Amino acid sequence: MSFVRFALRRVAEMAATLLTASFVVFGAMYLAPGNPASFLLAGRSASPEALASINAQYHLDDPFLMRYLRWLGDILQGDFGRSITYRTDVSRLLADRLPTTLLLIVMSLAVVVTVGLLLGRIAAVRGGATDSAILVTTTFAVGTPSFVAAVLLQGLFAVNLGWFPSSGAGDGGLGDMLWHLTLPSIALALYLIGMLARVTRSAMLEALDSEHVTVARSRGVPERQVIKRHVFRNSLGTVLTTGGLIVSTLLVCTILVETAFSIGGIGQLLELSTTTKDFPTVQAISLIIVALFMIVNLIVDLLLPLVDPRVTLGSRSAAV
Amino acid sequence: MTTTPPRTGRRFRRRRGRLSPVAVTATAALTAVSLLAACSGPPKEKGGGVTDVRLSASTPQAHGEIDSFTWAVYAEPPTLDYTVAFDYPQNTVLSNVCESLMRWTPGLTTEPGLAQKASNPDPTTWVYDLRPGVRFHDGKEMTADDVVFSLGRQTDPDNAAAWAQVFQNVASITKSGPLQVTVKLNKPDSQFPQYMATAAGVVASKATVEAAGKDYGTTGGLGCTGPFKLGTWNKGQSIELDRFDNYWGTKAKSKKAVFRVLTDPSARTNAMLSGEADGGYLIPTESYARLKKSGTGTLYFGEGLSTVNVNVTDMRGPLGDIRVRRALSLALDRSGFVKAGLGGAGTVTNSLTTRAAWAAAPERTLKTAFDSLPPTGQDIEKAKALIEEAGATGKTLTVATSSIGQDVSLLATAVQAAGTRIGLDIQLKTIAPNAFTALFTDPQAREGIDMFPLTYYDSITDPLDLLQNFKTGAYMNFAGYSDPEYDKLVDQASAVYPIEQRMDIEAKLQHHASEQLLWIPVAEWPTALFMNNRITGAPTTISYMYYPWAADVGAAQ
Repeated sequence: MSFVRFALRRVAEMAATLLTASFVVFGAMYLAPGNPASFLLAGRSASPEALASINAQYHLDDPFLMRYLRWLGDILQGDFGRSITYRTDVSRLLADRLPTTLLLIVMSLAVVVTVGLLLGRIAAVRGGATDSAILVTTTFAVGTPSFVAAVLLQGLFAVNLGWFPSSGAGDGGLGDMLWHLTLPSIALALYLIGMLARVTRSAMLEALDSEHVTVARSRGVPERQVIKRHVFRNSLGTVLTTGGLIVSTLLVCTILVETAFSIGGIGQLLELSTTTKDFPTVQAISLIIVALFMIVNLIVDLLLPLVDPRVTLGSRSAAV
Repeated sequence: MTTTPPRTGRRFRRRRGRLSPVAVTATAALTAVSLLAACSGPPKEKGGGVTDVRLSASTPQAHGEIDSFTWAVYAEPPTLDYTVAFDYPQNTVLSNVCESLMRWTPGLTTEPGLAQKASNPDPTTWVYDLRPGVRFHDGKEMTADDVVFSLGRQTDPDNAAAWAQVFQNVASITKSGPLQVTVKLNKPDSQFPQYMATAAGVVASKATVEAAGKDYGTTGGLGCTGPFKLGTWNKGQSIELDRFDNYWGTKAKSKKAVFRVLTDPSARTNAMLSGEADGGYLIPTESYARLKKSGTGTLYFGEGLSTVNVNVTDMRGPLGDIRVRRALSLALDRSGFVKAGLGGAGTVTNSLTTRAAWAAAPERTLKTAFDSLPPTGQDIEKAKALIEEAGATGKTLTVATSSIGQDVSLLATAVQAAGTRIGLDIQLKTIAPNAFTALFTDPQAREGIDMFPLTYYDSITDPLDLLQNFKTGAYMNFAGYSDPEYDKLVDQASAVYPIEQRMDIEAKLQHHASEQLLWIPVAEWPTALFMNNRITGAPTTISYMYYPWAADVGAAQ
C-alpha cells in the first residue's frame, strides 16, 4: 500500500472517529441530569430573566441537534467556545492546564518504557529466581490501583520522609514541576510497568523458543548479539502494539492521580466540568483524549514495519 | 468509583484486522471504563474524630509581620468575579481582595465597610455615605459611580449573578452625591441592608471591570479595595494575593497570602501536617484527630451558622403525614451521627437554625424560638407507635446519598437505620456527586426521592435566611410546603427593620418550621480551622466568607 493512500485513509478515519466521539459525548452530557445554567447560578434561586439570559447566551434551550451542529461549526472555525462554569474561553482554560498533564504523562511514559522493558528483558533472559522475583513484583504492581499507589507514595516519601512535596505541580518552573510530579508519575506508571514487563517477558520467551534463535546460536553468534538482534527486536513488535493501551490507560488514570495529588491539570478539569455539565469544556477535553489515543495508534502503525520487517504498512498482522 | 483490581497475567493482544471508526470510539470508551480498574477510587478513612470540642471565639493575635503564608482550599474558584462568588473557595479568597459597603465581623455582627454610614430615612430608602479617600488596586479613588456600577452588575440579567435575589425588591440605585448612593426599594426589605456585608455589596472599580470585559474575574486584576490585591494566579494550582500598600484600613500583617488548591481531603491534611500549607478552613472531619494530635499546630472550632438537616423533598408520600416525620425524628440517633459523621465536632439540635443566628434576640424571644421543640433524644417505642397510628408501617421511603462527604453519606445511613427500627422500609439511592448537586437545581433529579441530607449555612446573621425557605414557592422549598399563615409571617419579618421586633416574628416562624419538621434538624456544625505553630490570627467563625481575615494572619511568636 502506498504511503499516501495509507495516510489519507488514516486521516479520514480519524476525522470520522472524532466526529462520532464528539456526538456520543455531547449526547451523554445532554441526557445527564441538571442544567448548566442552574450550576452557574450556584443553586440560588435565579430570576426567570437571568435564567433566560443564560440559556440564550449559551443556546441551552435549542434542540439537541441544533446545539450540536452549532458547536461543530464553531470547532471547524477553530473556536472551542466559552466555558460555562469558568466564564472564560475553553482554549485559554486548556492552555493553562495542558502543560502540566502532558508533562505528567510524558514522565510516566518514560518511567514505564525504561523500567518495564528492562524488567521484562531481565526476567526473560535470566530466568530462575530473578524471573520469579520480577514476576512477584509485577503481580503486586499490576494489582495496585494507582490511587492506592498514590496514597502509599504520599505517606512514605512526602509525609514521613519529606523528600518530595505531597501535592501540587509546583510554581511553573520546570525543575520545580519535575520535582512535584515525580511521585504522581510513579503512581501513574506502576500498574503499566507491571503490565509492560509481563508482555515483554512473554514476547521474549516466545522469541527465545523460535527456530531462528536456535539457528543463530548453533552458528556461534554470541549470546548478547542473539538477545539483542533476534530476540529483543522480534519481541518489540508485540510490545509496541500495547502502546495504544498504555497511553489510553495513562490518559484515563491521570484523572484519579491528578485528584489524589491535587494537580490541577486536564484530568481534574474534566472531572469538574462533567460535574457541572460544562458542555464546551467536556467536549474539548474528550476530543483531545480521543485524538491523542488515535495519534499514538498511528505512530505505532508507522513504527511497526521499522522494528518488525514482517509487517507492512497499514496491516497489523504482527507475529503475536 | 471503586472497582476490583484487574486480573493479572492476561495477555494483551491486538485483534487482527481493522476496526471501524465507531468501533474504535466504542472500544476507547470501553477501554476507559475497564481501565478504571487500574486506578480505582480512594479508600475511605475511618474514624479520626475528636471528643472535647469547645468553640473558640477567636485565635491569639499575631505578634508581628511575616513574608508569606499558605492556605489550603478544597477547590479552585472557577472565577473571582464577585457577582458569582457564592461558595466557600471563592469567598474565602475574595473576602481579602474585595470589600463591601458593610462589613461582617469575626463576631458575626455587621459594621460599616466602604460605606461609613448607612441610613434609612424611610422604610423603602437606604442611603450609603461612602468613606472618602479609598483607593482601588488600580490606583483610582472610589466614587459613587463605582458603587452604582458594581451593584448594577448584580441586577443585570445578562450577568446571571448568584446574588441577584438579594436585589429582588430594589427599584433603583442612584448616585445622590459624589460620595453618596441611594437605594430605593419597592417595599421594605430587612434582608437587603444585611446582605450589603456579603459579596452582594462588593464595590469594584468601574474602569477595571469595563476594561477586562468578558474576562473579568479570570484574568488580570479585580480592581477592588481590600488589604490584598490579586497576584499570580497559577491556574489549577494556586492563587497568590499580594499586600496592598495603599489600603485605607489596617495593613495586612503578611506580605503575601498563597491559596493552594488541594482537592483531595487526605492531600489537604498531609499538606497541613508537612507545612506545605500553614493552615486552612473546612478541615475534613476524618482528619480532626490527626491534626489535633500532630503537635504541628492548633485545631480550632468556631461558630458556623450551619445546621445539618434531612431535607424533606416530597410530602405527597408518607412524609406528608407529620406523624411519620415526627417518628423519624424520634428514631434518629443524632449523637451517633455527630460522632461518626461530623468527627465529634457538632451538637445535636432540634432547631433548624443555629443559636448564634439569634445573637441579637432578647431572652423571651429565644424562649419562643427554642422552647418546646420536638426532643433530640431517641424514643423508638414512641416512634413505632406514631408510625402505626399513621398507618405507615411497611411503607417505603427513599433517601438520596452520595460520597461527597461524611455529613451526607453517614446521615443517610442513620436515617435508614432509624426507619428500619420503627417499621419503615427505607431505601438508599446512591447518586454520583455531580448528580447530587443537581438535586438542588433540577426537579427531575428529585423524582422518586423523599429526602436527602443537607447542610445549610446562613450568609447573614439572621435566622430568616434559612426560615424563608418554607415560604410558598421559595427556591429551596422542594416539598412544595404551603401555609398562608407562614407566608404572611415571612413577609412581615422581611418588612421589619428593628431587629428585636423582627426576631419576635422570626421566633414564631422558627417554632412553626421546627415543630412541623419541614426539614428534620439533626446537628449544629461548627467551622473548623487549623493553623500551624508559625502563624496565628485568623478568625474562627464563618465570617471568613466576607471579612478580610487574611489581613489578621501574622507571626505566632
